[in-house]
Amino acid sequence: MKAILTDVTKCIGCLECVSACKSANRLPMDIPRLWQKNDGLSAYNWTSILPKPLLPETGNGGQRFRYIRKQCRHCLEPACASACPVGALHQTTLGAVVYDSDKCLGCRYCMMACPYGIPRYDWESPVPYVRKCILCFERISEGKEPACTEVCPTKATIFGEREALIQEAHERIKSNQGKYINKVFGEHEVGGTSVLYISDIDLDFLAYKSNLGTRPLPQTTAAAMKSVPVAFVGMGAFMYGLHWIIKRRSERQENPEKPEEKV
Amino acid sequence: MNRVQAAKSILWVVVGFAAAVGITRMIYGLGATTNLNDATPWGLWIGFDVMAGVALAAGGFVITAIVYIMKREEFRPIVKPAVLTAFLGYIAVIISLLFDLGLPWNIWHMLIFWNPHSPLFEVGWCVMLYTTVLLLEFSPVPLEASSRYAKIRTFLLRFRFPLVMLGIMLSTLHQSSLGSLFLIMPYKSYPLWYSDILPILFFISAVALGLMMITLESLVTSHLYRRQVETELLSKLARASVWVLSIYVLTKLTEIVIAGESSLIFNGSWESILFIVEITIGVLAPIVIFSIPQFRRSQKWLWAGSVMVVFGMVFNRINVGGLTMMGITGDSYFPSWMEISISAGVVSAAVLVFFFAVERFHVWETPPRHPEAEPTSRPRFDRVSQVWLGAPSVAGRTKYSLAFLFSFAVAVAIVPGNEIQSKGAVTVPTMPARGGDTLFIDGNRDLYGVAFKHEMHISQNGQKQSCVLCHHMNIPMDKQSGCYRCHKSMYQESDAFGHQWHSSPRGGNIACVQCHEDGRERTAASAKKCDNCHRDLLPDGARIKHERNIAPSYVDAMHRLCVDCHKEKALTLEGKGDLARCARCHETVPPEYMSPGAPLLGNRPYFNRVMMPGAESLLKADD
Amino acid sequence: MQTLLELAQGPLFRLTFAIMALGLLRILILDIWGAVEAYRKAGDKNIPWGQAFRKSLAWLFPVGKAFGSRPVYSLFSILFHIGLILVPLFLFAHVELWKSGIGLGWVTLPKDWADYLTLSTIIFGLALFIGRVAFRASSFLSRKQDIIWPLALIVPFITGYICANTGIAPAGYQFFMLIHILSAELIFALLPFTKIAHCVLMPLSQFVATLAWRFPPDTDEPVAISLNKKGVPV
Repeated sequence: MKAILTDVTKCIGCLECVSACKSANRLPMDIPRLWQKNDGLSAYNWTSILPKPLLPETGNGGQRFRYIRKQCRHCLEPACASACPVGALHQTTLGAVVYDSDKCLGCRYCMMACPYGIPRYDWESPVPYVRKCILCFERISEGKEPACTEVCPTKATIFGEREALIQEAHERIKSNQGKYINKVFGEHEVGGTSVLYISDIDLDFLAYKSNLGTRPLPQTTAAAMKSVPVAFVGMGAFMYGLHWIIKRRSERQENPEKPEEKV
Repeated sequence: MNRVQAAKSILWVVVGFAAAVGITRMIYGLGATTNLNDATPWGLWIGFDVMAGVALAAGGFVITAIVYIMKREEFRPIVKPAVLTAFLGYIAVIISLLFDLGLPWNIWHMLIFWNPHSPLFEVGWCVMLYTTVLLLEFSPVPLEASSRYAKIRTFLLRFRFPLVMLGIMLSTLHQSSLGSLFLIMPYKSYPLWYSDILPILFFISAVALGLMMITLESLVTSHLYRRQVETELLSKLARASVWVLSIYVLTKLTEIVIAGESSLIFNGSWESILFIVEITIGVLAPIVIFSIPQFRRSQKWLWAGSVMVVFGMVFNRINVGGLTMMGITGDSYFPSWMEISISAGVVSAAVLVFFFAVERFHVWETPPRHPEAEPTSRPRFDRVSQVWLGAPSVAGRTKYSLAFLFSFAVAVAIVPGNEIQSKGAVTVPTMPARGGDTLFIDGNRDLYGVAFKHEMHISQNGQKQSCVLCHHMNIPMDKQSGCYRCHKSMYQESDAFGHQWHSSPRGGNIACVQCHEDGRERTAASAKKCDNCHRDLLPDGARIKHERNIAPSYVDAMHRLCVDCHKEKALTLEGKGDLARCARCHETVPPEYMSPGAPLLGNRPYFNRVMMPGAESLLKADD
Repeated sequence: MQTLLELAQGPLFRLTFAIMALGLLRILILDIWGAVEAYRKAGDKNIPWGQAFRKSLAWLFPVGKAFGSRPVYSLFSILFHIGLILVPLFLFAHVELWKSGIGLGWVTLPKDWADYLTLSTIIFGLALFIGRVAFRASSFLSRKQDIIWPLALIVPFITGYICANTGIAPAGYQFFMLIHILSAELIFALLPFTKIAHCVLMPLSQFVATLAWRFPPDTDEPVAISLNKKGVPV
């Protein structure tokens, strides 16, 4: 499993990753539209930098902002891929959650399902597709780094094996006591994500709710989906049983002498 | 005109209007026609047409269960209309879905690409299968019309019981799975509507809604066709619905209490108001009304009760489907008039087909008198072709086709022609040239216009031949098109620079001429050098001479051009190699460089809006 | 003036164009539908299709027909129709509008030709109007719309000519353009509901007429009654 670790304290907000993402994925120009969320992400912008003001007392080195790079989290158990009725969004063995536009039918259930609100729609086009970060899937399967981590001048965002990066993150937290919040964001949330953060400010605002919990979202529907065959057969059996009982009773009422005979 | 004709005329008007809007939707896409956005990707078409539509069509499986499974033969007269309503309901759902799906021509993909983990996959399959089942259940009725189809008809009738069973089983699945759809959004859904037993709640409420939809459908058609209302039957349905609604409300409230969310009901938030309205009107009030026997037998109260249940349950589906998520996503979606008219059009078309079927086929025990049947029918004279056509086979086709035609044309007329082509971008306001040549165009839509020199544009673009480049007599393009339609390079070349950040409503407010030399082409070549504004680009005493100081952006300059230069220089200048590392400088960057007002990053969309000085004076100067 | 012009170019144009397009489609469908019904009811199903087809062709390309009883009138009428059809469809400015509106363009007339054709349409239109009014036989047969249409149809041609040749009235460009657009839109809106609908019904009319007279014998009685021509031989 490949992963990205972003150290929020190291980011200088230079937007180099944003620009590299655009050129690596050949994304066209982006005119502000009414339907975009105000977080910099759009169908043509797969990563963005969110500046968050620091409280004066917590700001270190006199900095007044922290820059948080927003991108697809590439969940280990992605809600979007589980929701997609045709499997257009799916997870690759490297951990990247990628999109097959040939399968997509445009139901936008993935956009509803994502707890981070990442997938964006190409609303402008009469032939629209779902767009999001694909962890530079082609590049990483060739053994290269994603474009964003490659260009980062301060190595605030780095790429590697997930296990190694989690270890690295914990080491950084340990060796800089008090600098970071003692938590690797993305290690356990919704079953773990491939895009990890360590930070000195809380990163809850990246999701729709502050405490996401560790239960993978596909499990929520899995229980209901598991009971589908049971419900199907059960309802059939119940209805047939009901029908049989009622039919028998009415037959007995009509012909009380010979109840076993069928009409 | 009798009631049916009046109703049909209105429906044709709605259908005509929706037809034009539907074509617009298919040509220009979702962004141009709906208010859907990245925060609210599901809107009216899912909440009302699909979610509520499927629930409203639940009457089909409920009534077949009552008659064929429970053998309550007295309900047989209302089976056919209820099955017809359900069938048309499902067709309407599928047609609405074709409008809602981004790639509607791929709707069949669910047949070959499977993802059995997805509740939507299951819903899709069940809807497809159940629509087929409904078609087979209903088709003996139209097949009755001719003896030619007698064999097929008896064949179908032989399979009626298995079909009914299959229909009930499929309905159980997808009525509940529509609830399962939302299980995956525990973080978006409001707790009052989110629960692990959402599928069960959806199923029970669908049964209640099915009963009341049969009632309402019967009442409406009885009113229109002046038929005898089957009050006795309907009151029995109403009594049954009391039980179902009670089970529903008890399950729901118990679940809320167990989950510890009961305090949310009365906390006065708008979600709590939605919840109270939904439960009171849709469930509690009908329970009270229908538990009183006199009220159950009164037509007036049957109307009131069934309308309340239908409203409440539709409201419930809309609440679950997204209305109550808005507090969490922070978006305020309201459907556009185009979305509303397509929804209305699809429903109207379904109702028209219903009318057609009941007039043509043996749906009711006592078929209605044909509403178009005029005893004094005369052969029709066609004024245009000047011939006699005889009595028309479908009377009223003149009237209805005219209703369709005119409302279609009106819809075409009010579809915002050019705005729709600009797709989501706000139209460009212009101020006409005041007696002179200069026109003010607010290309960035931020109340700051820039002067547009007409004469100059004509002379640069090839004199008289150039008019048509901007002005198109049919569409007032010159009022609508932004500067970027021609000046494309400013976005393409300077993407990393973020031209829109420097000039957009969300960032800075620089008028073109503040950076681009007046009178020259507006490209990167004619732009001012970055350090013209960003004076702190080069610290005092810097020895660097930027020969190529036409960098499209500061960011670019820092991270492409300058750094490259430094790298180059590092080869020749001893000990200066370190300069090529950003982190070396940024360790020592003074804090004010990172402040919101600072020119360094101050005009990014996420920061406070900083009004650029000189924008107002520029407006005046060009006057 | 500017607002009016924009209204006429935008919503009003779409409204009237949609009425025309859909109205013509509607009348065509109703006509074919009626013809099918007539065929079902026809008492004599032995219909001379070939003859009707030949007749239709003869009326569509009236080379032989033209010089019958009134050669001058026919010639004028043909020349009038040529300009009437060619100029609006193939004028350079109009094609440019289509290009910018729907992205489709097609061959255009040279400017000189367009001007000559416009002038000829205006002249022959006037001539037809005079012919309708001046000759006793024609004016007796003419309905109101027969007299008004030749005049109404040349209004956009006159104003269009003035707009295309700005030398004629440079100050009144906007005014004439407005009249040009509005009159054309009025024609669009009325077209499917008046005799001008023959632009799409023409190819069918021979078939419909052939069919219409083959009703079962008992139909002519109610027909005659509703025509108020009871007892008049058909």
